[in-house]
Amino acid sequence: MKDYKKECKLKDGSIVLLRPLVAEDKEALINFFQSLPEDLRLYLRHDVTDVQIIESWTKNIDYSRAFPIIALDGERIVGDVSLHRIPYGWKHHIGTVRVAVDPKYHHKGLGTLLIHEIVELAAEFGLEKLWAELPLDFPEALSVFRKAGFSSKAVIEGLVKDLHGRSTDVIIMVCDIGTQYGF
Amino acid sequence: MKVAFISDIHSNIEALKAVLDAIDQEDISLIINLGDLVGYNASPVECVDLVQGRQIISIQGNHDRAATEMKYAESFNILAYQAMKWSANKLAPAHKRFLKKLEHTRVIWDRYLVFHGAPGNPDAYLFYLFQAKKAFNYMRKRTVGVRIGFFGHTHKRAVWQRDVRGKVSSLKISEENILLDPEQMYLINPGSVGQPREHNWKASYLIFSNEPEMIQFKSVSYDLHSAQARIRNAKLPEYLAERLETGV
Repeated sequence: MKDYKKECKLKDGSIVLLRPLVAEDKEALINFFQSLPEDLRLYLRHDVTDVQIIESWTKNIDYSRAFPIIALDGERIVGDVSLHRIPYGWKHHIGTVRVAVDPKYHHKGLGTLLIHEIVELAAEFGLEKLWAELPLDFPEALSVFRKAGFSSKAVIEGLVKDLHGRSTDVIIMVCDIGTQYGF
Repeated sequence: MKVAFISDIHSNIEALKAVLDAIDQEDISLIINLGDLVGYNASPVECVDLVQGRQIISIQGNHDRAATEMKYAESFNILAYQAMKWSANKLAPAHKRFLKKLEHTRVIWDRYLVFHGAPGNPDAYLFYLFQAKKAFNYMRKRTVGVRIGFFGHTHKRAVWQRDVRGKVSSLKISEENILLDPEQMYLINPGSVGQPREHNWKASYLIFSNEPEMIQFKSVSYDLHSAQARIRNAKLPEYLAERLETGV
């Protein structure tokens, strides 16, 4: 998997390398998540400053359940996106997307690029829809998902609490994969 | 006259040989390949050689185009990109010249439109009703007199019909003969030879008869394990081997 590389150009002309996350990326992934400012980490599902959590992710990668792709600038991880799948049941055709991008790479198109990559991968896996949950007061993230083909489906007021216990509205966004490649 | 339509062979030589063997058992005048001869699987050279050797009429698919210039593969997902990079390295310049010269949309005998994804656009898909409607409108405006289009790209068998009132609908797929109404327009996808995505691993193709106009979808078993072994030996993504068995 480490050899599955793809070079991509960002809006400012800089080049990043995309490839699947592998076990050897543990240290680089720890550094990446620890470098994210707290206001971004507020919205992540796990406490990514906990080294044991990152260790567990990199040690137990199951690409059929969660396919993580990292963006590298040289040896440094500058973005992480993952496609999560449920193998059985009424949501087996739906994938969930989670993404984090180094703030220095915001407004360069990296977030949209990473989500596009997941949309393409989801189509390859035969998924029909992608699902993302975002805090409503994070308009930049909403814009990135919209550019990648997601549309807003619902807002649930005060659904979640951030790390400081503040209630936050959540927006549900869905991407119909088949319509992304329309004629 | 009977014409065999094949599509999305994707470097699966075992599936291609099985389909051609089956086609050879019938009284077929012409074989038309609707594109994506290469990509994903592990026998690009063998597939190009066989299709060239058999004088099969071929249309260019998005993977065929990417094999000639990798910049066209940049939008592929990381697994498809990896497979394309591998294929591009295996193909000789003569193979690439053959793929590059192929047209992506073509009218055969002034009567039948053949294309890979959508007319004029090998990257786009015809999955949904609104996409089929656009393709029919394209045919009515740009290829006047052409009632039937054959396409691939989705790896799924399909028949869309447009009646005289302009209503577009899809037909149920079966392997029985389907008689085409001379008053209606059709868009027909034979499914995939080398990477079917209908939860059935068998290689799909289609026989079209022109008097009266009739189609029959067909599928044939092939040496799946050999095709999977080639993918694994080439160290291509494991998922590409697994999916052949599950038909995803």
